[in-house]
Amino acid sequence: MKFRLFPTLVLGLSTLVLNGADTVKIALTGPFTGGSAPMGASMRDGAKLAIAEINAAGGIQVGGKKMKIEVVERDDEAKNERGALIAQELASMGDLSGVIGTVNTGICLSGDKHLQEKGITKIICPAAGSASMTQWSKAGVKENSIFRFAAHDGIQAQMVVEEAINRKLLKVALMYDSTNYGVSGRDDMKDQIVKQGNKLQVVAEEKFNIGDKDMTAQMLKAKAGGAQAVLIWGIGPELAAVANAMAKIGLKVPLIGGWPLSMSNFIDNAGKNGNGTLMPQTFIEEPITPKAKSFIEGFHKTYKVDRIPSPVSAAQGYDAVYIFAAAVKQAGTTDTKQIKLALEDLKDPVKGVIATWVKPYTKWDPADVTTHEAFRREQTVMGMVQDGRVVFGNDADRQRLTKAAMSETKGQKAAPKAKKK
Amino acid sequence: MPSVVVAQMVVSGALMGLVYALIAYGFQLTFASSRSINFGQGELVMVSAFVSLTLTLHGVPYWAMIPCGMLFGALMGLVIERTGVRLALEQKSEGWILMTIILGLFFFSGAENLWGRDDRPFPTPIPSDPIHILGVDVTPLELSVGVGVLAIMGLIETFKRRTLLGKALEAVSTDRDAAELMGISARKSIMLSYALSGAVAALAGILVSPITTVGPTMASALILKAFSVAVVAGLDSGFGVVLVGMFLGATESLASFYLGSGWREAPGLILLILALAVRPTGIFGKAVIRKV
Repeated sequence: MKFRLFPTLVLGLSTLVLNGADTVKIALTGPFTGGSAPMGASMRDGAKLAIAEINAAGGIQVGGKKMKIEVVERDDEAKNERGALIAQELASMGDLSGVIGTVNTGICLSGDKHLQEKGITKIICPAAGSASMTQWSKAGVKENSIFRFAAHDGIQAQMVVEEAINRKLLKVALMYDSTNYGVSGRDDMKDQIVKQGNKLQVVAEEKFNIGDKDMTAQMLKAKAGGAQAVLIWGIGPELAAVANAMAKIGLKVPLIGGWPLSMSNFIDNAGKNGNGTLMPQTFIEEPITPKAKSFIEGFHKTYKVDRIPSPVSAAQGYDAVYIFAAAVKQAGTTDTKQIKLALEDLKDPVKGVIATWVKPYTKWDPADVTTHEAFRREQTVMGMVQDGRVVFGNDADRQRLTKAAMSETKGQKAAPKAKKK
Repeated sequence: MPSVVVAQMVVSGALMGLVYALIAYGFQLTFASSRSINFGQGELVMVSAFVSLTLTLHGVPYWAMIPCGMLFGALMGLVIERTGVRLALEQKSEGWILMTIILGLFFFSGAENLWGRDDRPFPTPIPSDPIHILGVDVTPLELSVGVGVLAIMGLIETFKRRTLLGKALEAVSTDRDAAELMGISARKSIMLSYALSGAVAALAGILVSPITTVGPTMASALILKAFSVAVVAGLDSGFGVVLVGMFLGATESLASFYLGSGWREAPGLILLILALAVRPTGIFGKAVIRKV
């Protein structure tokens, strides 16, 4: 015992000098307080759950020895300027292996350049705004150390429009908030409407500001136009104000939109008016597979909750850590540039709670952002709000995922089956 | 269809405008007696709403919570008067402007640390299912805001006109020096006005929270509009704020329908500027006769 205690002590005392020498240092950033906190804090907690599991098993096999993961946490409060400062701080750390996090697209735009300059590997999770990746293709950077692990808005807008068409609707109203996220979401939706054959007629296009409480006028306009669905892109409590206004004026049509509709501050504030709301999800808090079951139970037990505030963020945070850990192992070093190369060419599939990730990323190509995007259409499902929870919106999705997991446990390849629908 | 839509919008907007009016009324109360206003009024609304929410979550029934919340607001009003306003007024300085802003910031940080930065729902027994009146949908929740606002304002105005204490308050508002010569304590009158103003702020918070949710920034959007309502109506106009508030709310609603939601605030504010250009003391304000 004495023999083992001594080196630990020495290590503890000399962390300032030898910082990170025997650990893999990962930074987790995001809004852990404020309006976006359900996403940020869930992402962090999901990631820490994975880190705890890895550390409990001794750590990551790096080269010849096992290294534990050391976490650096930074709360960006969903403020662009805070995010930029944090990115500068992280970029100057020197011994950082990588960054996982960021919820707000604006922060990707203000902060990621500092990480990119120093070539620090970052996995964006769960910010979904298209601009966070297209900023690099537009700049035409040759080497990109920024990856994303989230169903980006392109996929989500595709699904939202698809859902409206599948329901045989003809007239829709577009609602969006005035942030970067809302406006780019509106453009994505309009693009998709054109791409999917112009089957939807936009009868109203209305915006709202962060903090708006009364959406009666906007919804009346949708109603006057005869909208059969409201397609919406926004964050948080304003979405609830829209659902409440719809109920008030008796506009009983589906509300379909980006994934923030699954956040607890929408679900709680909209109450029963939120029922039936549809949004793309990467993870549904239903224990349909053994892996999902153990993850959900682990999360509930560790953080003493009976509902994950944002299941999508938590599951993505969890899987992102495992993917990152696999890259560290493959790189055989804690050097962030080597980890980046490994991420672009992951040899072994990574078993996550959302899916089994086979080569999630490839070599960066400025002409094709999907090289650094992990999610494809088949890893996303439609979720629906029902009595305070998000459940599967389409039963077909649930069956597909259950089947995929079952065939996987039988040792068969799951990927082709998952791709079918 | 159009006339019904317009009616719907006017009603929804005007009911929201009543909340501006109530907060504006809080500005008026203190301005009348002391020629000072609490620039942290929005934070007072917010903190009182949080305290009321905490009471509700600890099992205090809704109807008992309202007076408790208002009492808390009144106490906070007294605290602001004592710490932020009194000294500055005694020294005839404008220090109260900065002091009340600082106190507001303290309230804000306090709320952030105590209750966190999330927007939270405010439970209420008043149903939010719409009822149909003459083709217009209103929720009982919105109606409760209207009723609450008019009731409290009616109560305070009656108090000012019918009771001795209220008349003393009016006397100080009209002419402080003359009132003091009659043996009325101006200090106590000002304290009373701050307490009333605090109680009004608390009620505004309680009424509006079920609609808007409770969060540290809940009042920041309201307060600017409330301030313009107070100024345009005239800082000593009494019921004038009701009309101006409802007018501003309705214009916002109509503008966002006809001009697009991006122009929501513009027409109302332009009209307010025009009103001020024509009547600098406010539409319902008394013309100031400056004695030299």
